[in-house]
Amino acid sequence: MTASGIVLAVETSCDETAVAVVEHGRRIRASVVASQVAMHAATGGIVPEVAARAHLRWIVPVFEEARAGAGIDDWSEIESVAVTYGPGLAGSLLVGINFAKTLAYVHGRPLVPVNHLEGHIYAAWLLDRDEPERPAPPFPLIALVVSGGHTFLVEMRDHLDYRFLGQTVDDAAGEAFDKVGRLLGLPYPGGPAIMKAAAGAVDHDVEFPRAWMGDSYDFSFSGLKTAARRAIEARGGTDALAPDLVAELAYGFQESVVDVLATKTGLAAERTGARAIILGGGVAANAVLRDRVAERAANLGIPLIVPRPALCTDNAAMIGAAGFFRTRAGTRASLDLDARPSLPLVG
Amino acid sequence: MTGFEAAGRHVPGSGWLVGIDTATRRAAIAIGTGRGTPRAWRSWEAGYRHGEELLAVLDELMREAGIGLSDVGAIVSGIGPGAFTGLRVGLATAKGLAYGLHVPLVGIASTRGLALAALASGTLPGDAGSPARHAPAWDSREGPATVAVAMPAGPHDRYLARYRVTSGAGDIGRRGAPGRGDVGRRGEAARDARGPQGGEGRALELEPIDDPVLVPGGEAIEPLLEDATLVAVDLAGRPGVSDDALVLGRAAQEGLGAALLAAGREALDRGDVDDVAALVPAYVTLPRGITAQTGTIEWSRDLR
Ligand SMILES: [Zn+2]
Repeated sequence: MTASGIVLAVETSCDETAVAVVEHGRRIRASVVASQVAMHAATGGIVPEVAARAHLRWIVPVFEEARAGAGIDDWSEIESVAVTYGPGLAGSLLVGINFAKTLAYVHGRPLVPVNHLEGHIYAAWLLDRDEPERPAPPFPLIALVVSGGHTFLVEMRDHLDYRFLGQTVDDAAGEAFDKVGRLLGLPYPGGPAIMKAAAGAVDHDVEFPRAWMGDSYDFSFSGLKTAARRAIEARGGTDALAPDLVAELAYGFQESVVDVLATKTGLAAERTGARAIILGGGVAANAVLRDRVAERAANLGIPLIVPRPALCTDNAAMIGAAGFFRTRAGTRASLDLDARPSLPLVG
Repeated sequence: MTGFEAAGRHVPGSGWLVGIDTATRRAAIAIGTGRGTPRAWRSWEAGYRHGEELLAVLDELMREAGIGLSDVGAIVSGIGPGAFTGLRVGLATAKGLAYGLHVPLVGIASTRGLALAALASGTLPGDAGSPARHAPAWDSREGPATVAVAMPAGPHDRYLARYRVTSGAGDIGRRGAPGRGDVGRRGEAARDARGPQGGEGRALELEPIDDPVLVPGGEAIEPLLEDATLVAVDLAGRPGVSDDALVLGRAAQEGLGAALLAAGREALDRGDVDDVAALVPAYVTLPRGITAQTGTIEWSRDLR
């Protein structure tokens, strides 16, 4: 058993086929992602069967490219094989799990199961190939993970040690962006489209409600989605909206989402005495959310760590980062590892 | 087996083959040369647990066969049509084995493997009370015969694939063909057996009559059979399937591992090898709700 610190990671939980090679949980040696965005754009959402088929077609080329890109010529250099085993789409997860499992078996390497959500948090540890060293995120910290499938707040007091604070009780934030984007006649995925439209808003008069969910750290976006639909219907429906009105509605909607996310994250950091805030997940690529959480962090005098956009969305480097800490903590899976589509972060 | 050296060290005709099929509710793995009875094999009711069981069973069989991973010369994988979940597990595993071991991968239509296994099984004496004993006899002396394999495509629909027996038919059932009676028995005798193609060296060959089709639940299979003998796999309880066809289907599942090895060996000898990256299941239909296969894949190498 080698202690090279080099982890080979495989991620196929949704619609990106991804393989990465990461050193000591931080330095990316290679990260390859084959994304099906263009395939799903036409359907306005992910079709699980389409996603699963594409994974099976692309897993070998993606793996081979990551291996070659990392300059790995011999399995003796690899300490472990990490793979996402949930949460995610069952048919998609199965492809990565069984491929990774078989490679670990063939080469006699430990197989390390990684929770996809934990991967999004650990993206904050990653360093690009030529990026200068920087300190690892300090504990305790607060992580907000926001994506098309997930919205939750968690406190970490040490590696792999999570205290779940709250999550969405209905739609994920990214899902709300997609749905309202469609109502506004904007292209899929909705997140970037709404951000772009909102940036062009001249008037900022349309206000949408905020779901504060009492004093909890939970989130709810379904009421906001309904309010947006009513507002659009009241103005004659999707097809009747002039571009400046689309921009104004997009702005109002985005403000409501961002306000709730940033406020609760800031509050959690303050109350727990966090020494840093981490943002992760695809919606973390939203510049307005980043700026608003950055303000909160600055007020508390703590750093905000947001991976660059390509590391916020699904990738395998983040699984390699979490996988390294799991490897060293002794987490192992046996040959019967199966997909866990609704795997929670804690429990 | 630590390097990443390019594939291609396989010499046709040498090495052990690992055959895997996960298209039906019964998973099958066999390890052998593709000539004669497999050294080790298993066929088991995996239901929807292929993902948990496949690699663990393979590991057991490798030990049972006394064969190391570095002795494996090629992987033979059933590619369906069949249950999507099972096929994904099977092909992801087969690709991992072929890519990881740098050996060739051969994809064989699962329906073809089942047809071959059914032909081999139907003529064997079998153990008392075994499915093979009660299977309708395959009378091959009357010239080219046809066989049709049907299996579930979801809760109501079925896949149907028809094959014409093009050679070796006269030899089927003479001797040496593995079936329920001797498949899985190991040792010297097994190694000397001549394999599913029969005793006199004339291989049993099947030619597909047409591509596998999807038969909707409301439509009967019989009119599509013409003269073909039906091999009904996992279709117990569905209308329009005779007991004989079910018995033959069950026997086919039992012999599928051995049949895959034999078919894989022939393909390897012909140099007919699949691209490890490109090989995908025979899906027959597009995903539900999709009317055309469109779109592209965007790559991010992200090597900065
Ligand atoms: Zn994700």
